[in-house]
Amino acid sequence: MNPAGLAAAGTPRLPSKRRTPASPPGMADPHQLFDDTSSAQHRGYGAQRAPGGLGYPSSSASPQASFMADPVSSMAVAYGSTLAAQGKELVDKNIDRFIPVTKLKYYFAVDTVYVGKKLGLLVFPYLHQDWEVQYQQDTPVAPRFDVNAPDLYIPAMAFITYILVAGLALGTQDRFSPDLLGLQASSALAWLTLEVLAILLSLYLVTVNTDLTTIDLVAFLGYKYVGMIGGVLMGLLFGKTGYYLVLGWCCVSIFVFMIRTLRLKILAEAAAEGVPVRGARNQLRMYLTMAVAAAQPLLMYWLTFHLVR
Amino acid sequence: MAFTLYSLLQAALLCVNAIGLLHEERFLKNIGWGTDQGIGGFGEEPGVKSQLMNLIRSVRTVMRVLYGLVMKKSNIYIL
Repeated sequence: MNPAGLAAAGTPRLPSKRRTPASPPGMADPHQLFDDTSSAQHRGYGAQRAPGGLGYPSSSASPQASFMADPVSSMAVAYGSTLAAQGKELVDKNIDRFIPVTKLKYYFAVDTVYVGKKLGLLVFPYLHQDWEVQYQQDTPVAPRFDVNAPDLYIPAMAFITYILVAGLALGTQDRFSPDLLGLQASSALAWLTLEVLAILLSLYLVTVNTDLTTIDLVAFLGYKYVGMIGGVLMGLLFGKTGYYLVLGWCCVSIFVFMIRTLRLKILAEAAAEGVPVRGARNQLRMYLTMAVAAAQPLLMYWLTFHLVR
Repeated sequence: MAFTLYSLLQAALLCVNAIGLLHEERFLKNIGWGTDQGIGGFGEEPGVKSQLMNLIRSVRTVMRVLYGLVMKKSNIYIL
């Protein structure tokens, strides 16, 4: 979407899938493979001759050159390009209404140190003491500066890696076909959506006044893919024993991580509002936090057990 | 496992439809979930039950509008 903004946000660990297509020197090579057939065909058409070694790009350039010489068509090209520029401006102005682009950029402001620390925290959250997100004049600090802040980089990357690892696992068992990849992705996304909707509904029913936004929730729920990847990879290397061991460890870690993170978001509001803490209401919120945290290991198992035989 | 986004959409649609079909007088009042029964005071604690009743009532109101549009479009005048 905005490669300049993403590049300024920090060096990604893996090549981002959102980068614009490669520059022309990279594109010339695949077209060289189509050299022989296309140049042979164009020679037969009586079009302007291209030297045989240059291949596809130049043979398409020469009919274009004669096309451009015509003043009417060059005007049409200019008009078309101004229309396209206007359309792009319109989209850029209005995109903020539908997708909060500026808010999303906050979640991708990560760097390598943050990613490393966060991954360590996801797998071993037991020694971490301070789980509060630091604020800077009412706005939360970017994830780059605070390891407790949620980000969308790790969940997005972990989701894609999970799909790829699922494909790998299916391939090693001779069960692979390309549409299964789409099915895995769709299934995982559907479960994620269902979780988000269920949690939003229960937050509404319990009338919790949190600053937990939907994107925050998606980020927290996306952290379980890290454990799932670890489990499946160990299952590929060491069979079912390795899978169960690593998955069990990651399940407990994610459980503790979620409880410690959500407790600050959901339960702290009761004390911060100054309302006298009523036992029943706080208990309901505690149950909600435990239910959310307990759903994570269940889903981790459900989404991976069919991949490891 | 075939739990796709489309099946999620279908399930959500069916659930919303089911909520929209609940009849106020015959059903909800009998189990104490009628909309004129529970509004209580304007105290600080809405409670789960009143939130749920509000949710059901608002879903039914929205569905009534949508049902009206659909039926008007297809020339059926029930409801």
